[in-house]
Amino acid sequence: MITAENVWKSYPVNRDKPGFKEFIVNAPEFIGKKSGLFWALKGLNFSVKKGECLGVIGKNGAGKSTLLSLLLGTSLPGKGTLTVNGKRTPLLELGAGFHQDMTGRENLVMNGILLGLTRKEALARQDAIIDFSGLSEFIDRPLRTYSGGMYMRLAFSVAVHTDPEILLIDEILSVGDEFFQKKSGDAITGLIKRGTTTVLVSHNMESIRNICSRVIWLEHGVIMADGIPGEVIGKYLNEGGKDV
Amino acid sequence: MDRNMRRTLDLFLMFTGREITLKYKRSYLGFIWSLMNPILTALVFFVAFKLFMRFEIEDYTLFMLSALFPWTWFSASVSMCIHSLTGNISLIKKIIFPKRLLVVSVITGQMVTLLISIPILAVLLYYYGKSPYLSWLYIIPILLTVQFFIILGISMALAMLNAYFRDMEHITNVTLNMLFWMTPVMYPLAMVPEKYRIFLAMNPMTYLIQSWRDVIMTGRVNWVNVLIAAVTAAVCMLLGSFIFAVKDKKLDEVL
Repeated sequence: MITAENVWKSYPVNRDKPGFKEFIVNAPEFIGKKSGLFWALKGLNFSVKKGECLGVIGKNGAGKSTLLSLLLGTSLPGKGTLTVNGKRTPLLELGAGFHQDMTGRENLVMNGILLGLTRKEALARQDAIIDFSGLSEFIDRPLRTYSGGMYMRLAFSVAVHTDPEILLIDEILSVGDEFFQKKSGDAITGLIKRGTTTVLVSHNMESIRNICSRVIWLEHGVIMADGIPGEVIGKYLNEGGKDV
Repeated sequence: MDRNMRRTLDLFLMFTGREITLKYKRSYLGFIWSLMNPILTALVFFVAFKLFMRFEIEDYTLFMLSALFPWTWFSASVSMCIHSLTGNISLIKKIIFPKRLLVVSVITGQMVTLLISIPILAVLLYYYGKSPYLSWLYIIPILLTVQFFIILGISMALAMLNAYFRDMEHITNVTLNMLFWMTPVMYPLAMVPEKYRIFLAMNPMTYLIQSWRDVIMTGRVNWVNVLIAAVTAAVCMLLGSFIFAVKDKKLDEVL
Protein backbone atom coordinates (compact mmCIF):
# COMPACT_ATOMS: atom_id res chain seq x y z
CA MET A 1 0.00 0.00 0.00
CA ILE A 2 2.93 2.28 0.63
CA THR A 3 6.10 2.15 -1.43
CA ALA A 4 9.04 4.49 -1.00
CA GLU A 5 11.87 4.41 -3.49
CA ASN A 6 14.92 6.50 -2.75
CA VAL A 7 12.93 9.27 -1.10
CA TRP A 8 14.77 12.48 -0.29
CA LYS A 9 13.37 15.58 1.34
CA SER A 10 15.09 18.87 2.02
CA TYR A 11 14.24 22.10 3.76
CA PRO A 12 15.92 25.44 3.26
CA VAL A 13 18.27 26.01 6.18
CA ASN A 14 17.50 29.69 6.43
CA ARG A 15 13.77 29.57 6.90
CA ASP A 16 13.60 33.15 8.08
CA LYS A 17 14.62 35.35 5.23
CA PRO A 18 17.05 38.14 6.04
CA GLY A 19 15.26 41.44 6.45
CA PHE A 20 15.86 44.31 4.07
CA LYS A 21 18.30 46.01 6.42
CA GLU A 22 20.50 42.94 6.86
CA PHE A 23 20.30 42.37 3.16
CA ILE A 24 21.66 45.82 2.39
CA VAL A 25 24.32 45.70 5.11
CA ASN A 26 25.57 42.26 4.12
CA ALA A 27 24.78 42.52 0.43
CA PRO A 28 28.17 41.21 -0.76
CA GLU A 29 27.69 38.04 1.25
CA PHE A 30 24.25 37.27 -0.05
CA ILE A 31 24.97 37.81 -3.69
CA GLY A 32 25.96 34.63 -5.41
CA LYS A 33 25.45 32.57 -2.30
CA LYS A 34 22.89 29.84 -2.64
CA SER A 35 20.81 29.22 0.42
CA GLY A 36 21.76 25.93 2.03
CA LEU A 37 19.55 22.90 2.19
CA PHE A 38 19.01 20.63 5.11
CA TRP A 39 18.28 17.08 4.02
CA ALA A 40 15.76 15.71 6.49
CA LEU A 41 15.43 12.41 4.65
CA LYS A 42 18.23 10.85 2.64
CA GLY A 43 17.15 8.17 0.24
CA LEU A 44 14.62 6.06 2.10
CA ASN A 45 13.57 2.71 0.66
CA PHE A 46 10.79 0.76 2.30
CA SER A 47 7.31 -0.51 1.73
CA VAL A 48 4.31 -1.21 3.89
CA LYS A 49 1.89 -3.97 2.99
CA LYS A 50 -1.84 -3.82 3.50
CA GLY A 51 -2.75 -4.54 7.07
CA GLU A 52 0.78 -4.08 8.31
CA CYS A 53 1.58 -1.83 11.26
CA LEU A 54 4.89 -0.08 10.85
CA GLY A 55 6.54 1.55 13.83
CA VAL A 56 9.02 4.35 13.31
CA ILE A 57 11.52 5.09 16.07
CA GLY A 58 14.50 7.38 16.35
CA LYS A 59 15.82 10.39 18.16
CA ASN A 60 14.41 13.91 17.93
CA GLY A 61 15.18 15.40 14.54
CA ALA A 62 15.75 12.05 12.90
CA GLY A 63 13.14 12.77 10.23
CA LYS A 64 10.18 10.87 11.66
CA SER A 65 7.67 13.70 11.42
CA THR A 66 8.92 14.67 7.98
CA LEU A 67 8.29 11.11 6.91
CA LEU A 68 4.75 11.25 8.25
CA SER A 69 3.97 14.48 6.42
CA LEU A 70 5.26 12.95 3.19
CA LEU A 71 3.08 9.88 3.73
CA LEU A 72 0.12 12.12 4.43
CA GLY A 73 0.76 14.07 1.25
CA THR A 74 0.90 17.53 2.76
CA SER A 75 4.45 17.74 1.50
CA LEU A 76 6.13 16.18 -1.51
CA PRO A 77 9.48 14.41 -1.76
CA GLY A 78 12.29 16.47 -3.25
CA LYS A 79 13.69 13.41 -5.03
CA GLY A 80 12.52 9.84 -5.48
CA THR A 81 9.04 8.41 -5.62
CA LEU A 82 6.54 7.70 -2.92
CA THR A 83 3.28 5.93 -3.68
CA VAL A 84 0.51 5.65 -1.16
CA ASN A 85 -2.72 3.89 -2.10
CA GLY A 86 -5.74 4.35 0.09
CA LYS A 87 -7.42 6.99 2.19
CA ARG A 88 -5.01 8.47 4.68
CA THR A 89 -6.25 9.48 8.08
CA PRO A 90 -3.86 11.55 10.14
CA LEU A 91 -3.81 11.38 13.90
CA LEU A 92 -1.02 13.93 13.98
CA GLU A 93 -2.20 17.19 15.36
CA LEU A 94 -5.68 16.53 16.65
CA GLY A 95 -8.23 19.17 15.91
CA ALA A 96 -6.47 20.85 12.98
CA GLY A 97 -9.15 22.98 11.38
CA PHE A 98 -11.33 23.19 14.46
CA HIS A 99 -12.94 26.56 14.89
CA GLN A 100 -13.36 28.08 18.33
CA ASP A 101 -16.61 29.88 17.58
CA MET A 102 -18.42 26.89 16.10
CA THR A 103 -20.16 24.38 18.32
CA GLY A 104 -18.75 20.94 19.00
CA ARG A 105 -21.31 19.46 16.64
CA GLU A 106 -20.51 21.87 13.80
CA ASN A 107 -16.81 21.17 14.24
CA LEU A 108 -17.49 17.47 14.27
CA VAL A 109 -19.25 17.59 10.90
CA MET A 110 -16.65 19.87 9.40
CA ASN A 111 -13.74 17.76 10.64
CA GLY A 112 -15.48 14.63 9.39
CA ILE A 113 -15.67 16.13 5.91
CA LEU A 114 -12.06 17.28 6.08
CA LEU A 115 -11.02 13.76 7.04
CA GLY A 116 -12.77 12.19 4.08
CA LEU A 117 -16.48 11.78 4.78
CA THR A 118 -19.30 13.42 2.89
CA ARG A 119 -21.62 15.69 4.84
CA LYS A 120 -24.32 13.05 4.75
CA GLU A 121 -22.01 10.38 6.16
CA ALA A 122 -20.75 12.75 8.84
CA LEU A 123 -24.30 13.53 9.92
CA ALA A 124 -25.20 9.85 9.95
CA ARG A 125 -22.27 9.11 12.26
CA GLN A 126 -22.55 12.06 14.57
CA ASP A 127 -24.41 10.11 17.25
CA ALA A 128 -21.80 7.38 17.31
CA ILE A 129 -19.03 9.99 17.46
CA ILE A 130 -20.68 11.98 20.24
CA ASP A 131 -21.36 8.79 22.13
CA PHE A 132 -17.74 7.70 21.82
CA SER A 133 -16.44 11.09 22.94
CA GLY A 134 -18.76 11.16 25.94
CA LEU A 135 -19.41 14.86 25.32
CA SER A 136 -23.15 14.81 24.61
CA GLU A 137 -23.76 17.39 27.33
CA PHE A 138 -21.40 19.91 25.73
CA ILE A 139 -21.77 19.12 22.06
CA ASP A 140 -23.93 22.13 21.16
CA ARG A 141 -21.74 24.62 22.99
CA PRO A 142 -19.04 26.61 21.23
CA LEU A 143 -15.68 24.93 21.14
CA ARG A 144 -14.01 27.79 23.01
CA THR A 145 -15.81 26.66 26.16
CA TYR A 146 -14.15 23.22 25.96
CA SER A 147 -11.23 22.21 28.12
CA GLY A 148 -8.07 20.97 26.44
CA GLY A 149 -8.93 17.36 27.18
CA MET A 150 -12.48 17.68 25.84
CA TYR A 151 -11.13 19.23 22.67
CA MET A 152 -8.79 16.30 22.10
CA ARG A 153 -11.51 13.79 22.87
CA LEU A 154 -13.79 15.26 20.24
CA ALA A 155 -11.01 15.39 17.67
CA PHE A 156 -9.97 11.85 18.37
CA SER A 157 -13.52 10.54 18.22
CA VAL A 158 -14.09 12.08 14.81
CA ALA A 159 -10.83 10.72 13.43
CA VAL A 160 -11.47 7.09 14.39
CA HIS A 161 -14.96 7.21 12.89
CA THR A 162 -13.91 8.12 9.37
CA ASP A 163 -13.12 4.60 8.08
CA PRO A 164 -9.37 5.03 7.93
CA GLU A 165 -7.56 2.88 5.40
CA ILE A 166 -4.14 4.11 6.33
CA LEU A 167 -3.63 5.50 9.80
CA LEU A 168 -0.78 7.89 10.40
CA ILE A 169 -0.10 8.34 14.08
CA ASP A 170 2.32 10.61 15.88
CA GLU A 171 2.43 9.82 19.59
CA ILE A 172 -1.14 10.18 20.52
CA LEU A 173 -1.98 6.97 22.21
CA SER A 174 -2.99 8.92 25.26
CA VAL A 175 -5.87 11.33 24.95
CA GLY A 176 -7.89 12.77 27.80
CA ASP A 177 -8.28 11.32 31.27
CA GLU A 178 -7.39 7.81 32.48
CA PHE A 179 -10.64 6.34 31.28
CA PHE A 180 -10.62 7.92 27.88
CA GLN A 181 -6.96 7.00 27.45
CA LYS A 182 -7.89 3.37 27.78
CA LYS A 183 -10.83 3.79 25.43
CA SER A 184 -8.83 5.62 22.77
CA GLY A 185 -5.93 3.20 23.05
CA ASP A 186 -8.34 0.30 22.62
CA ALA A 187 -9.96 1.98 19.63
CA ILE A 188 -6.65 2.36 17.85
CA THR A 189 -5.49 -1.13 18.67
CA GLY A 190 -8.87 -2.35 17.46
CA LEU A 191 -8.48 -0.57 14.13
CA ILE A 192 -4.97 -1.94 13.70
CA LYS A 193 -5.95 -5.48 14.67
CA ARG A 194 -8.80 -5.32 12.16
CA GLY A 195 -6.24 -4.75 9.46
CA THR A 196 -5.95 -1.00 9.03
CA THR A 197 -2.56 -0.25 7.59
CA THR A 198 -0.75 1.92 10.12
CA VAL A 199 2.39 3.95 10.46
CA LEU A 200 3.08 4.80 14.07
CA VAL A 201 5.77 7.20 15.21
CA SER A 202 6.51 6.89 18.90
CA HIS A 203 9.09 7.15 21.62
CA ASN A 204 7.15 4.70 23.72
CA MET A 205 8.98 1.43 23.03
CA GLU A 206 6.40 -0.48 25.01
CA SER A 207 3.51 0.45 22.74
CA ILE A 208 5.63 -0.02 19.62
CA ARG A 209 6.53 -3.53 20.80
CA ASN A 210 2.91 -4.35 21.56
CA ILE A 211 1.24 -3.00 18.46
CA CYS A 212 3.65 -2.97 15.54
CA SER A 213 4.46 -5.86 13.28
CA ARG A 214 7.57 -4.18 11.91
CA VAL A 215 9.81 -1.34 12.99
CA ILE A 216 12.08 1.12 11.23
CA TRP A 217 14.82 2.99 13.05
CA LEU A 218 15.57 6.37 11.53
CA GLU A 219 18.67 8.38 12.29
CA HIS A 220 19.70 11.60 10.52
CA GLY A 221 17.29 10.82 7.70
CA VAL A 222 18.68 7.35 7.05
CA ILE A 223 17.17 3.97 7.86
CA MET A 224 19.50 2.31 10.37
CA ALA A 225 17.49 -0.87 10.79
CA ASP A 226 14.29 -2.38 9.47
CA GLY A 227 12.82 -5.56 10.86
CA ILE A 228 10.85 -7.23 13.63
CA PRO A 229 10.18 -4.98 16.63
CA GLY A 230 12.24 -6.80 19.26
CA GLU A 231 15.46 -6.74 17.25
CA VAL A 232 15.23 -3.18 15.95
CA ILE A 233 14.27 -1.77 19.32
CA GLY A 234 17.11 -3.66 20.98
CA LYS A 235 19.58 -2.34 18.45
CA TYR A 236 18.27 1.21 18.82
CA LEU A 237 18.51 1.14 22.60
CA ASN A 238 22.03 -0.29 22.48
CA GLU A 239 23.55 1.85 19.77
CA GLY A 240 21.27 4.85 19.50
CA GLY A 241 22.58 6.64 22.57
CA LYS A 242 26.25 6.38 21.64
CA ASP A 243 26.86 9.83 20.25
CA VAL A 244 24.80 11.62 22.87
CA MET B 1 -22.35 12.39 -8.44
CA ASP B 2 -18.93 10.95 -7.83
CA ARG B 3 -18.20 10.64 -4.12
CA ASN B 4 -15.09 12.77 -4.26
CA MET B 5 -16.91 15.57 -6.05
CA ARG B 6 -19.69 15.36 -3.51
CA ARG B 7 -17.14 15.72 -0.74
CA THR B 8 -15.44 18.68 -2.37
CA LEU B 9 -18.82 20.35 -2.80
CA ASP B 10 -19.68 19.71 0.85
CA LEU B 11 -16.36 21.14 1.89
CA PHE B 12 -16.91 24.20 -0.26
CA LEU B 13 -20.38 24.81 1.19
CA MET B 14 -19.03 24.29 4.68
CA PHE B 15 -16.17 26.77 4.23
CA THR B 16 -18.44 29.31 2.57
CA GLY B 17 -21.10 29.01 5.26
CA ARG B 18 -18.37 29.53 7.82
CA GLU B 19 -17.17 32.63 5.96
CA ILE B 20 -20.67 34.13 5.96
CA THR B 21 -21.91 33.25 9.43
CA LEU B 22 -18.78 33.35 11.56
CA LYS B 23 -17.90 36.89 10.62
CA TYR B 24 -20.71 38.23 12.78
CA LYS B 25 -21.22 35.27 15.07
CA ARG B 26 -20.45 36.99 18.35
CA SER B 27 -21.95 40.39 17.51
CA TYR B 28 -25.44 41.41 18.60
CA LEU B 29 -26.69 42.53 15.18
CA GLY B 30 -25.18 39.48 13.50
CA PHE B 31 -26.03 39.08 9.86
CA ILE B 32 -27.70 42.53 9.75
CA TRP B 33 -24.17 43.92 9.60
CA SER B 34 -23.93 42.61 6.07
CA LEU B 35 -26.68 45.06 5.16
CA MET B 36 -25.63 47.81 7.56
CA ASN B 37 -22.06 47.98 6.28
CA PRO B 38 -22.91 49.02 2.71
CA ILE B 39 -25.66 51.38 3.89
CA LEU B 40 -23.35 53.17 6.30
CA THR B 41 -20.61 53.32 3.68
CA ALA B 42 -23.12 54.84 1.27
CA LEU B 43 -24.08 57.42 3.87
CA VAL B 44 -20.49 58.46 4.53
CA PHE B 45 -19.76 58.89 0.84
CA PHE B 46 -23.03 60.75 0.32
CA VAL B 47 -22.13 63.26 3.02
CA ALA B 48 -18.54 63.65 1.86
CA PHE B 49 -19.07 63.97 -1.86
CA LYS B 50 -22.61 65.24 -2.25
CA LEU B 51 -23.02 67.56 0.72
CA PHE B 52 -19.47 68.72 1.38
CA MET B 53 -17.77 68.56 -1.99
CA ARG B 54 -20.94 69.14 -4.00
CA PHE B 55 -20.22 66.96 -7.00
CA GLU B 56 -22.49 68.14 -9.81
CA ILE B 57 -23.26 64.70 -11.12
CA GLU B 58 -26.77 63.49 -11.70
CA ASP B 59 -27.96 60.86 -9.18
CA TYR B 60 -24.50 60.86 -7.66
CA THR B 61 -25.24 58.49 -4.79
CA LEU B 62 -26.57 55.84 -7.14
CA PHE B 63 -23.83 56.60 -9.62
CA MET B 64 -21.16 55.98 -7.02
CA LEU B 65 -22.69 53.02 -5.21
CA SER B 66 -23.38 51.10 -8.41
CA ALA B 67 -19.59 50.97 -8.84
CA LEU B 68 -18.52 50.97 -5.21
CA PHE B 69 -20.36 47.80 -4.20
CA PRO B 70 -18.82 45.62 -6.94
CA TRP B 71 -15.46 47.25 -6.21
CA THR B 72 -15.77 46.36 -2.55
CA TRP B 73 -16.38 42.74 -3.50
CA PHE B 74 -13.12 42.84 -5.46
CA SER B 75 -10.94 44.63 -2.96
CA ALA B 76 -12.28 42.98 0.19
CA SER B 77 -11.90 39.52 -1.37
CA VAL B 78 -8.36 40.12 -2.56
CA SER B 79 -7.17 41.58 0.72
CA MET B 80 -8.77 38.71 2.66
CA CYS B 81 -7.65 35.94 0.30
CA ILE B 82 -4.05 36.96 0.62
CA HIS B 83 -4.16 35.35 4.08
CA SER B 84 -6.00 32.22 2.93
CA LEU B 85 -2.87 30.08 2.99
CA THR B 86 -0.71 31.82 5.57
CA GLY B 87 -3.67 32.01 7.95
CA ASN B 88 -4.55 28.32 7.80
CA ILE B 89 -1.17 26.73 8.42
CA SER B 90 -2.31 23.99 10.79
CA LEU B 91 -5.06 22.94 8.39
CA ILE B 92 -2.75 22.89 5.39
CA LYS B 93 0.05 21.06 7.13
CA LYS B 94 -2.04 18.42 8.81
CA ILE B 95 -4.91 17.62 6.46
CA ILE B 96 -5.09 16.96 2.74
CA PHE B 97 -7.85 18.78 0.92
CA PRO B 98 -8.11 21.04 -2.15
CA LYS B 99 -6.45 24.20 -0.86
CA ARG B 100 -7.98 26.48 -3.45
CA LEU B 101 -11.31 25.97 -1.70
CA LEU B 102 -10.03 28.30 1.01
CA VAL B 103 -9.75 31.06 -1.59
CA VAL B 104 -12.97 30.22 -3.41
CA SER B 105 -15.03 30.27 -0.24
CA VAL B 106 -13.81 33.72 0.81
CA ILE B 107 -14.74 35.14 -2.60
CA THR B 108 -18.14 33.46 -2.54
CA GLY B 109 -18.79 34.74 0.97
CA GLN B 110 -17.98 38.27 -0.13
CA MET B 111 -20.18 37.86 -3.19
CA VAL B 112 -23.12 37.23 -0.90
CA THR B 113 -22.50 40.66 0.65
CA LEU B 114 -22.68 42.19 -2.82
CA LEU B 115 -25.90 40.33 -3.60
CA ILE B 116 -27.41 41.65 -0.39
CA SER B 117 -26.55 45.20 -1.35
CA ILE B 118 -28.20 45.04 -4.79
CA PRO B 119 -31.66 45.67 -3.26
CA ILE B 120 -30.22 48.90 -1.83
CA LEU B 121 -29.44 49.95 -5.39
CA ALA B 122 -32.97 49.05 -6.47
CA VAL B 123 -34.41 51.20 -3.70
CA LEU B 124 -32.20 54.09 -4.79
CA LEU B 125 -33.38 53.69 -8.38
CA TYR B 126 -36.98 54.10 -7.20
CA TYR B 127 -35.90 57.11 -5.17
CA TYR B 128 -34.51 58.75 -8.30
CA GLY B 129 -37.77 58.02 -10.15
CA LYS B 130 -36.53 55.01 -12.12
CA SER B 131 -36.99 51.31 -11.57
CA PRO B 132 -34.83 48.17 -11.78
CA TYR B 133 -34.40 46.73 -15.26
CA LEU B 134 -35.45 43.29 -16.42
CA SER B 135 -32.09 42.95 -18.19
CA TRP B 136 -30.42 42.73 -14.75
CA LEU B 137 -31.58 39.15 -14.65
CA TYR B 138 -29.09 38.05 -17.27
CA ILE B 139 -26.48 40.79 -17.32
CA ILE B 140 -25.75 40.76 -13.59
CA PRO B 141 -25.02 36.99 -13.51
CA ILE B 142 -22.63 37.48 -16.44
CA LEU B 143 -20.80 40.28 -14.64
CA LEU B 144 -20.74 38.25 -11.43
CA THR B 145 -19.15 35.33 -13.25
CA VAL B 146 -16.55 37.45 -15.01
CA GLN B 147 -15.62 39.28 -11.83
CA PHE B 148 -15.55 36.04 -9.83
CA PHE B 149 -12.83 34.64 -12.08
CA ILE B 150 -10.85 37.87 -12.11
CA ILE B 151 -10.80 37.83 -8.31
CA LEU B 152 -10.10 34.10 -8.14
CA GLY B 153 -7.14 34.29 -10.51
CA ILE B 154 -5.58 37.24 -8.73
CA SER B 155 -6.27 35.82 -5.27
CA MET B 156 -4.80 32.39 -6.00
CA ALA B 157 -1.61 33.99 -7.24
CA LEU B 158 -1.34 36.44 -4.34
CA ALA B 159 -2.24 33.95 -1.61
CA MET B 160 0.47 31.59 -2.85
CA LEU B 161 3.09 34.28 -3.42
CA ASN B 162 2.43 35.70 0.03
CA ALA B 163 3.46 32.38 1.57
CA TYR B 164 6.89 32.72 -0.02
CA PHE B 165 7.23 36.45 0.19
CA ARG B 166 5.32 38.01 3.05
CA ASP B 167 5.84 41.55 1.78
CA MET B 168 3.20 40.70 -0.82
CA GLU B 169 0.46 41.54 1.64
CA HIS B 170 1.67 45.10 2.12
CA ILE B 171 2.35 45.60 -1.57
CA THR B 172 -1.16 44.41 -2.32
CA ASN B 173 -2.86 46.75 0.09
CA VAL B 174 -1.06 49.76 -1.29
CA THR B 175 -1.78 48.65 -4.84
CA LEU B 176 -5.46 48.10 -4.11
CA ASN B 177 -5.75 51.61 -2.74
CA MET B 178 -4.00 53.04 -5.77
CA LEU B 179 -6.10 50.97 -8.14
CA PHE B 180 -9.25 52.23 -6.45
CA TRP B 181 -8.47 55.81 -7.43
CA MET B 182 -7.28 54.71 -10.87
CA THR B 183 -10.66 53.17 -11.57
CA PRO B 184 -13.71 55.35 -12.24
CA VAL B 185 -15.56 54.39 -9.08
CA MET B 186 -16.03 57.76 -7.40
CA TYR B 187 -15.89 59.87 -10.55
CA PRO B 188 -17.06 59.48 -14.15
CA LEU B 189 -14.54 58.61 -16.82
CA ALA B 190 -15.51 61.79 -18.69
CA MET B 191 -14.21 63.92 -15.80
CA VAL B 192 -10.63 62.73 -16.35
CA PRO B 193 -8.64 65.01 -18.70
CA GLU B 194 -8.23 63.46 -22.15
CA LYS B 195 -4.44 63.03 -21.90
CA TYR B 196 -4.65 60.94 -18.70
CA ARG B 197 -7.48 58.73 -19.86
CA ILE B 198 -5.02 56.28 -21.39
CA PHE B 199 -4.01 55.23 -17.85
CA LEU B 200 -7.56 54.34 -16.99
CA ALA B 201 -7.99 52.56 -20.29
CA MET B 202 -5.03 50.36 -19.41
CA ASN B 203 -6.65 49.33 -16.14
CA PRO B 204 -8.76 46.21 -16.73
CA MET B 205 -10.97 47.02 -13.74
CA THR B 206 -12.21 50.13 -15.57
CA TYR B 207 -14.16 48.05 -18.07
CA LEU B 208 -15.71 45.83 -15.46
CA ILE B 209 -16.72 48.64 -13.12
CA GLN B 210 -18.04 50.68 -16.04
CA SER B 211 -20.21 47.72 -17.05
CA TRP B 212 -21.63 47.43 -13.54
CA ARG B 213 -22.51 51.10 -13.49
CA ASP B 214 -24.07 50.94 -16.96
CA VAL B 215 -26.26 47.98 -16.20
CA ILE B 216 -27.42 49.27 -12.82
CA MET B 217 -28.20 52.77 -14.06
CA THR B 218 -29.40 52.16 -17.62
CA GLY B 219 -30.07 48.43 -17.85
CA ARG B 220 -27.67 48.18 -20.78
CA VAL B 221 -23.97 47.43 -21.12
CA ASN B 222 -21.36 48.03 -23.76
CA TRP B 223 -20.53 44.44 -24.65
CA VAL B 224 -17.03 45.41 -25.76
CA ASN B 225 -16.32 46.39 -22.14
CA VAL B 226 -17.70 43.09 -20.91
CA LEU B 227 -15.59 41.23 -23.44
CA ILE B 228 -12.42 43.00 -22.32
CA ALA B 229 -13.28 42.13 -18.71
CA ALA B 230 -13.87 38.50 -19.73
CA VAL B 231 -10.49 38.32 -21.45
CA THR B 232 -8.94 39.78 -18.30
CA ALA B 233 -10.65 37.07 -16.29
CA ALA B 234 -9.24 34.36 -18.55
CA VAL B 235 -5.72 35.77 -18.28
CA CYS B 236 -5.99 36.10 -14.49
CA MET B 237 -7.24 32.52 -14.16
CA LEU B 238 -4.47 31.11 -16.35
CA LEU B 239 -1.74 32.96 -14.48
CA GLY B 240 -3.31 32.34 -11.07
CA SER B 241 -3.79 28.61 -11.61
CA PHE B 242 -0.28 28.28 -12.99
CA ILE B 243 1.37 30.07 -10.07
CA PHE B 244 -0.79 28.19 -7.59
CA ALA B 245 0.04 24.79 -9.06
CA VAL B 246 3.78 25.41 -9.42
CA LYS B 247 4.33 27.02 -6.03
CA ASP B 248 2.10 24.50 -4.25
CA LYS B 249 4.83 21.84 -4.51
CA LYS B 250 7.12 23.47 -1.97
CA LEU B 251 4.47 25.25 0.06
CA ASP B 252 5.03 23.09 3.15
CA GLU B 253 8.66 24.17 3.30
CA VAL B 254 7.86 27.86 3.68
CA LEU B 255 4.73 27.83 5.82
